Amino acid sequence: MKKGKITITITIGLVILILTAVIFLQFKTINQTDITALENMREDELRTEISNFKQKIAEISGQLDETNAKISEYQEAIASNEQASDLLVQELDQQNNIIGKNAVKGSGVVITLTDTRAQKITAEDLRELVNELKIDGAEAISINGQRIVYDSYIVDIGNTFIRINGVESIVSPYVVKAIGDPTYLESGLSKKQYGYIDSKLEEGKDVTLTRQDNIVIEKYNGDLNMEYAN
Amino acid sequence: MLLTVAICVQVKTINKATEKVGATLDDNNGLRDELLSLQGTYETLYKELEKKDAELETIREQAANKSDEDVKNEQEITNNQKLLGLTDVSGAGVIINLDENREIDSSEVLNISEYLVHEEDLLYIVNELFNSGADAISINDQRIVSTTSIVCDGNIIRINGKMVGVPITIKAIGFPERMEYALSRPGGYLQLMADGGVKVYIERSDNIDIPKYEGVYSSEYISRGDE
Repeated sequence: MKKGKITITITIGLVILILTAVIFLQFKTINQTDITALENMREDELRTEISNFKQKIAEISGQLDETNAKISEYQEAIASNEQASDLLVQELDQQNNIIGKNAVKGSGVVITLTDTRAQKITAEDLRELVNELKIDGAEAISINGQRIVYDSYIVDIGNTFIRINGVESIVSPYVVKAIGDPTYLESGLSKKQYGYIDSKLEEGKDVTLTRQDNIVIEKYNGDLNMEYAN
Repeated sequence: MLLTVAICVQVKTINKATEKVGATLDDNNGLRDELLSLQGTYETLYKELEKKDAELETIREQAANKSDEDVKNEQEITNNQKLLGLTDVSGAGVIINLDENREIDSSEVLNISEYLVHEEDLLYIVNELFNSGADAISINDQRIVSTTSIVCDGNIIRINGKMVGVPITIKAIGFPERMEYALSRPGGYLQLMADGGVKVYIERSDNIDIPKYEGVYSSEYISRGDE
């Protein structure tokens, strides 16, 4: 009688152990099925991702060539015991063009947004436009002369003004300049129906775009140092 | 009994999952292999670039010791790397977590879209954080730099070209109290999102690490404009 009880207990124990093990195994399998994983991507997603990576590889290869060229130029300067001043100025300029410490020029697009009696342009309209211009490859952007830098922000001040970078209070018309590939920028903004311009026109807002060859974007006048990040 | 039911439920779930995956697996094997190999190439090139950048920094420093002007420029170049987001940074700040409310049954809600996190939400929060003095921001470890765009691509959000899904973690380095108040004050944006059904969580932290931007800047179209 007692022996039988022990056997049953052991059997049940074993069964529970095995079942638990099986459950864990399955949990593991489910955990591995990550929805953003490569395995689950649809054909069109895969194709988009492939073309993304091809572009990224081209960009990074270009950057690598550039870095290698700079290294050998500095090496030459050291070897011939000459000053590297020109090289330094060139590198610094390139950085400051991107950061916004230099004024920059180039071809691109100019978008003008004007308040109408029915519809006012809001900070959100401008934020959306800046994001769209970045998607379309803008290398420098300004709004009414205020350069957009890495920590820029655009907010409504009541119903009257829009403030950019915390200093400038601006009013309509808002003139947004962007330097980059004019074709890319124009076609990105002018996509039918869902594009930026069409959707704003649909809302009753006044938006126009022109391509320009010689756009000048002023430098940022604020302070660009980080106070808290080390 | 309970265990058996649990196992059956799980077997069913797995079968469903593999069914869905299985179909695409067969069709897209070639594409997947191509993508994998491209990702591998990119990783290799990026590692190489990191190595070369370090080499450039060393040799630039060596080359720039001939005049005060050179030394000053060399130091500015190095400092600029930080402004470009090309260095990891750390400091005090806030961490915001956003998650979709999975308890909501999409078939019973009129507008499920209110319960999701959108690109506009992220743009708004980033704008608000910079407005309250943030020095550096990342979203799911993607550093926000001057060329960063937040794109809605179907139901996928892309930041710096990388796919970002829920749960979303936004980290910001700056004055913690000021950033927290800007977002979580009554009637603030996080409260609006929470009222809309998104799970929102914000906390201050003394030690936040934000990774560098792992991409490159292009200056194909801009040149210096004031000379």
